Amino acid sequence: MIWRGPARASFLTVSTFLTLISLSTAIVVNAQQQMSKRYPGGKNVRVELRNISGTIVVESWNKNEIRLVATIESKNALVVPKQVNECLIVDVMGDNRGRGDVGDINFKLQVPMNSSVDVETRRGNINVSNIRSGLVRAYVSSEGDIELTNISATHVVAQNVIGNIFFDGEFSSGGTYEFKSNKGDITIRIPGNSAFRLVASSPTRQIKLNDFWNNGFKTQDGRKVVGDVGDGRSSVSVMNFSGQITFMRK
Amino acid sequence: MNCEQCQELIHDLIDGSISQRDEFTLNTHLKDCLDCESVRQDLTSILTFCQAHRGEYEAPPNEQALWLRIRNVIEAENGHRVVPQTDSRRPSFFGRLMGQTWELSLPQLASLTAAIVLLVSLTTVVGLRRWGGAEGSHPVPQVEASNVNDRIWQRRQVINYWNQRVELNKARWSPEMRETFDRNMRVIDEAVANSLNELNRNPHDEISEQMLNESLNDKLALLKEFSDL
Repeated sequence: MIWRGPARASFLTVSTFLTLISLSTAIVVNAQQQMSKRYPGGKNVRVELRNISGTIVVESWNKNEIRLVATIESKNALVVPKQVNECLIVDVMGDNRGRGDVGDINFKLQVPMNSSVDVETRRGNINVSNIRSGLVRAYVSSEGDIELTNISATHVVAQNVIGNIFFDGEFSSGGTYEFKSNKGDITIRIPGNSAFRLVASSPTRQIKLNDFWNNGFKTQDGRKVVGDVGDGRSSVSVMNFSGQITFMRK
Repeated sequence: MNCEQCQELIHDLIDGSISQRDEFTLNTHLKDCLDCESVRQDLTSILTFCQAHRGEYEAPPNEQALWLRIRNVIEAENGHRVVPQTDSRRPSFFGRLMGQTWELSLPQLASLTAAIVLLVSLTTVVGLRRWGGAEGSHPVPQVEASNVNDRIWQRRQVINYWNQRVELNKARWSPEMRETFDRNMRVIDEAVANSLNELNRNPHDEISEQMLNESLNDKLALLKEFSDL
C-alpha cells in the first residue's frame, strides 16, 4: 500500500489526535485515587461520615465488618477514617480544613445490617439500603437526591435543600421519621398496615396520602395535614416547600 | 499572740512599761509578722521625731479651744454619725428596719412564713390567670406581629454575620461549589419571600410563620455549613 502525501498527512493527524486522547484519559484515571479499607464490626456498629462533595452509598452485607471504598478526585484530599470502639468516623470536613478545594470524594460503605448510619455531605447524592438498626440519618446541606431503600430503623432523618427524597421501608413502633426538602419530591413507600401519626406540610398544597388518607385527618387548606394512620404508634414529619409529598403503599 | 494583742503591747514597749515576758512574746511575733513590725517602726519613728524636735514648737495659746475647734470640724464633716443624738435628720424607714436587731419568737416566725407563702401563692395565681391563660385564648395581634418582626430581625442579624463569613471564604471554593451554594441560597430565599408574602396577607397564618421559621433556620444552617469550607 502506497501512502501519498495528503493521505499520509491525514493519517498522522488522526494518529496524533487519538494518542493525545488516550494519554489524557490515562492521566485522568491516574489522578483519581482509590482507598479501600476494612474494619472489624461488632453488634452495635455505627458509621459516621461527613463528606464535602461527592456521592455516598451505604449498603449492608452479611459480614461482621465494615468495608470502606473512597474514590478521591484530588491529590490534595485527605481521608483519615478513625475507629473508636464500634464506631467508624470519617470526617472529610475536619481532615481537609484549610486545604482549599478538595474536589469530589465518592464513598461506598458496606456495613453489617444492624449498623447505625449517620451520613452527610455538603452536596451529592446519598443512597442507603438494607439497614435494620436504630438510626439512619442522611443529610445533604445543599443539593443531592436521597434514596433510602429497604430501611427499618427507629429513627430516620432525610433532609436536603434541592433534590428528591425517596424512602422505602417500614415505620417501627415508637420510631420517629423526619423528611424535609425545599425543592424536590418526597416519596414515602411503606406497607399498607403501617401505623403512624403524620404531620405533613407543603405550602404549595401538594400532599398526596393516597391509600393512607382517612377522615380523621385534619387539614389546614391543604397546606398542612395532621392525623393518625392506624393507632399512630410512630411519629412521621414531612415538610416540603415547593415539591410534592406522596405516600405510596408497598 | 494575735496582731491585736501585739499592737496593744507595742504601745507598752514604746512607753517602756512592758514586762520581760511580754517583750519576749512580742519580739517573737514581730519577727514573724511584717504588718505589726511595720506598725512598731512607724510608732517608733514618730516618737523619735517628736523627741528630736521637742521644744521647737510653741504650745497653742488656748489648747482647750483648739481641741474644741477640731472636734467641731470633725462633727460638721461626719454629721449624725459622730454625734447621733444631736442629729436632726431621722433615718429612713428602711434604714431603721435594717438597723435594728430582729428578734422574733417562734409563733411570730411561723406567722411571717405563712404570710409570705400566702402572698406568693396569690401573686402566682393572679399572674397566671392574667397573662398565662390569656396568651393562648386571646392573642393580641399587634404584639404578635411585633414579635414575628423582632424574631425575623434578630435572625437576620445572625444570618448577616454568617453571610459575611461565607463571602470571605467563597473565593477559595471551586466554581461548581459557588454555583451550588448560590442556587440553594436562591431556593431558600424564595421560600422565605413566599412565607413573608403570605404573612403580609394574613398576619395570623400559623403555617406561613412556621414555614418562615424553618426557611430561616435552613438558611442559617446552609451558611454555617458552607462557612467552614
